[in-house]
Amino acid sequence: MTATLHVPASESTSTPAVRLTGVSKSFGRGAGAVTALAGVDLEVRPGEFVCLLGASGCGKTTLLNLVAGLDQPTSGELHRNTSRPAVMFQEAALMPWLTASRNVELALRLAGTGRTARRTRTAELLDLVRLGGAGDKRPHELSGGMRQRVALARALATTVDSSSEQRSLLLMDEPFSALDAITRDVLQAELIRIWQATSTAVLFVTHDVREAVRLGQRVVLLSSRPGRVVREWRTGDLDPVAEGNVIDEINGRLREVISSHVAA
Amino acid sequence: MSRPDEPGESGLVAVADYAAVGAGLDALDTNTGAKTGAWRRFTRTVLPPIVAVVLLIAIWQALWAAAFWPEYQLPAPSAVGGELWGLVTSGQVFGILWTSIHRAILGFAIAIVIATPLGLAMARIQVVRSAIGPLLSGLQSLPSVAWVPAAILWFGIQPSAIYFVVLLGSVPSIANGLVSGIDQIPPILPRVGKVLGAGQLASARHILLPAALPGYLSGLKQGWAFSWRSLMAAELIANSPQLGNGLGQYLENGRSLNDMAMVIAAIALILLVGIGIDVILFRPVERYVLRSRGLGVTVR
Repeated sequence: MTATLHVPASESTSTPAVRLTGVSKSFGRGAGAVTALAGVDLEVRPGEFVCLLGASGCGKTTLLNLVAGLDQPTSGELHRNTSRPAVMFQEAALMPWLTASRNVELALRLAGTGRTARRTRTAELLDLVRLGGAGDKRPHELSGGMRQRVALARALATTVDSSSEQRSLLLMDEPFSALDAITRDVLQAELIRIWQATSTAVLFVTHDVREAVRLGQRVVLLSSRPGRVVREWRTGDLDPVAEGNVIDEINGRLREVISSHVAA
Repeated sequence: MSRPDEPGESGLVAVADYAAVGAGLDALDTNTGAKTGAWRRFTRTVLPPIVAVVLLIAIWQALWAAAFWPEYQLPAPSAVGGELWGLVTSGQVFGILWTSIHRAILGFAIAIVIATPLGLAMARIQVVRSAIGPLLSGLQSLPSVAWVPAAILWFGIQPSAIYFVVLLGSVPSIANGLVSGIDQIPPILPRVGKVLGAGQLASARHILLPAALPGYLSGLKQGWAFSWRSLMAAELIANSPQLGNGLGQYLENGRSLNDMAMVIAAIALILLVGIGIDVILFRPVERYVLRSRGLGVTVR
């Protein structure tokens, strides 16, 4: 499956979509300060799919908030060379009073898109996530997996604009972790399909090693408290045997990282 | 087909199969709530209150027939019915109802205009909340009848005295309802707004206000109940010919004439208006708002 991934043409270009150099983030001041991230260096190329992996407390969500611009780093530099990044959370967080298509439209409306353009774009996006027929359903009438697909369509609405040449970035914060195994499996496949169709860069946070290896072209392992980059693996273009080996290797390393916290 | 909980194997599933599995999951997960029939709805929601009222009247009739109390304390149901029928046939009832209802609606409308910005300010500005929050909650538990003497001294026997009492009764409920509606918004929703690039104003318009609607509505509902009962209290105490003949005055007239049938007829009318506005106006709106969000599903 991973062997079929196409490498976006823009990969060779030198300007990264996102570049973090020595980014640190602490919360609070003085003795009570908590360092969530310490000197993180990370680069995501345009169109690249990068998975951030780590146990709880590794500052994955903090990192994503920084990239999304919801928070500012305490020190270090963060460059983003994309349009407003789209963000998807663990929960779909759809507006419960709006239908599925209105939810997608809201994103376009807030971005200042005109009414007719909004309609066509919403229909396109819902078709992309295979929910063309569920546009006038309310969130509570949809299953968890369908809600996450509407959330994905909404996220893509702000970022992937077919008319503009600007690079796009999709930030995903454990978007499938609250779903059942079958739905998660289907949505992972759907995400790969949509990523290929839109050629957006993706920064995907997860604590599931298999998920990270399956989806990402690159898997970055973060340590916990404070979060630092421990190692990274190239996981695109792997045959099933190699994939299994990488999963074992990452699992081993992840266990080491977690065990090291007992002594500390 | 491979077992999907083993991603190593599921990697072999072709893309077309995922579309089929996904469509199957969607079909299985979509709610197909069975509709309840009209007769069933009638027997479950309309019939019980009718039976209850009929039973109540039957007990009343029996008590009256047993003659435990003198007639001037417990009149026959037919006497009260006759009183009400007389009011309707003489057309007097419409004047009385109109006097009271238009006051209540006008007072309620003014209360909404005052309470909505007040509630918004309290919900969004911490200083305002700490300053008047406790006061407003206190006012909510203060019976608004307590304001009638003050209102009469300040405004005289004027309609403005009545409106003053109605406002003090309903403004705290509406404002507090809006505040709790905004407080109960899941924090993820404004965060989504921020991520989507909504400014303060767009966020309030597209996310905060619609999200707070259920709480606001229940505040409005309570505010209506309070303004109706405040109005009755005010009309009952501050009655004079220049204030017109509302339900409260009618009730007071019944008392001064020692006419128990008239008193009970007045109480029945007050009850009828209170319930009527709730059933005709608030309940359908509230039901629609809650249903469309998948909330407040009625007990089956």
